[in-house]
Order: sequence, then structure tokens, then C-alpha cells
Amino acid sequence: MTKNKNGLEVEGRVVACLRSAMFTVELENGHRVLAHISGKVRKNFIKIYLEDLVLVELSPYDLTRGRIVFRYRN
Amino acid sequence: MKTKLFTSGLSGNAVMITRVADRQWHALYDDLVVGRGYAEHRPDGRLFVCIDAWHDATFDRLAESMLAELPGPLYTVVDEADVELTACWQRAGFTIGRREWEYVVPTDPRVTGLEEVLPPSGVTVVPADQADEGLLRAADRAIRDEVEATVGWQSMPAEVLPRPEVVTIVDPSKYAVAAASGRYLGLVLVVTVNRPRIGLVAVRAGEQRRGIGRALLAHAPGTLHGSGFAAAWAEVHESNQAASALFEGIGAQPVSGNLELVR
Repeated sequence: MTKNKNGLEVEGRVVACLRSAMFTVELENGHRVLAHISGKVRKNFIKIYLEDLVLVELSPYDLTRGRIVFRYRN
Repeated sequence: MKTKLFTSGLSGNAVMITRVADRQWHALYDDLVVGRGYAEHRPDGRLFVCIDAWHDATFDRLAESMLAELPGPLYTVVDEADVELTACWQRAGFTIGRREWEYVVPTDPRVTGLEEVLPPSGVTVVPADQADEGLLRAADRAIRDEVEATVGWQSMPAEVLPRPEVVTIVDPSKYAVAAASGRYLGLVLVVTVNRPRIGLVAVRAGEQRRGIGRALLAHAPGTLHGSGFAAAWAEVHESNQAASALFEGIGAQPVSGNLELVR
């Protein structure tokens, strides 16, 4: 887990692809968050699928929500 | 660095919009970045923007600041299923410029029905990594020229990889081609990053409707199936009915849509 001025960033794995372009991501610590795709990921046509390893920025307002800011090459 | 204050309504404190770089904006709240905006030129010259914010009010203020400072036209990309984000951009004055469907394409020949499909007489399919690079580049250039001559060119997917203007083939080894009489009539590009994506299926203008595209599709997914992939992904512009029919005819299913918004 990394904490910087941008908030908390945590690695996790996509365990469910939901409606409305949302994803359930299971974090390293076992917690699950509801995440959407960041603008930069979307703008570069990077697709997110089940089982993808991703970096999630957690919302400072709600730690059960986040946005996927990076997808790792498996 | 330009800074603009506004009251977000989050708790009565001010959120500050700051242009932190030429193409980058931050929304700051209690010294925490609660929103970001970016702008970036694509290789085709178009300026794309994106905004990440935790609240709609922050999104709106970032959009207001960015749009006031950037020259139009501006573009952005959203997942069609993301109705909230689409609504945010529409509030900022963006409208739908183009739409493309994303298909999941089965690779098992028993599912696609392409088990028995052969190329038309006199045409052979040259597998990926065996195509002649010179002939491949000539065919790619010719096909692009043919497409560019039509009204559909502006709706072709944006090419996001930075490359010299004249280079359209990054890795020739990823292309399988349909060949006849020493020239290439069609090509299919499959790139696998985590999972396979059919990046391009194209046939020369005078050679279409002969079954060459189908033969290329029989070859490429079949090869993927042999490599252990059950499905591939492909994007098709909504107006490209021929491509939609080609994919749907082999059992491909549309699973999502991408919207390009413009203002």
C-alpha cells in the first residue's frame, strides 16, 4: 500500500466485472472495493477484465470505493 | 500555475482548482488531491481530455477550468455503460461523436462454424510471422489509402501509439495475410497483451465479398484456440455493418460499447 498526496494506492485483483463499468477488486489485504476505471486508463483504451492485476486508488471519502489507475501485465 | 477557488458543497470548505502543468489540473481539498484533469494530443492531432473526480461538483469545476483554457475541439472516451460519467461530460457540453461495439469472439472452430472454411480458389493464408514485410506494408498502405478515400476514415479508431506518421505497422510478425499471385489481398492483426485482441481485419477493395475476410477469421481465432485461448476481443464501429455481420456470423457477442464524445 502506498500513501501519497494522491491518497492511498493499493494493488488488487479484479474479481467481478459489474454493470455501469464498475469492478469489484480484491485488495492485497483481502478487502473488496468497488472501483471504476480512471480517465487515463480509459483514454488509452486499456481494457480491464476478470482476474486482471490492477493498482487501485482508494477514495479519501469512502475506503470501499476506488478507481483503477493502472493495469499490470499478468 | 493558475489557481481558482470554489465552494464544492462537500463540507463548506473551498476546493481549489490548480493548473499544475501545461496539460494537467488538480482539484485540492484540505491539501488533498480530490480530482485530476488531463489533456493529451493523439498522434492524429486531436486533443483528448479526461477527468477523475470523486464528486460530480468537483468534476464540473475541473471541466469548467479545463474547457476555458483549452482550444477546441476536445474529445474524450467513455464506456457506454458508465452513464454517470457520460452524464458528467454531457453537462460540460460534450456530445456523442462516434460509438464502437466491443465483441467477444469465440475461437473454437466448432463454435465459430469456421472449421471447414477455406480461402477462395487461388488464395492462401500466410500465418503470422511468415508474411513478407515489404508486401505486408504495401498491402497495409493500399488498404489505408482505400479507406481514407471514403467517408469512413474519420471514424476509424484513434491510433494511440506514438509512432512516425508513415509507420502503421509496428510489429509485422503479428499479421497473417491472404496472398494470391505474389500480392497480399487482406490481413488480420492479432495482438495478445494478457488476452488476444483482433486489432484489424481488412481486405483490399476489389477483393471483398469473396470470403477472404472469413478465411482470415477462420485462421486467426483457430490459431488462438490452438494456443489455449477460448476467446478474443475486437472493436467494431457501429456503422460498419459488414464487420458486425462478419463477427456476429461466427458467434461473436457484443459485450460493451465505447463512446467518443466531442465538444
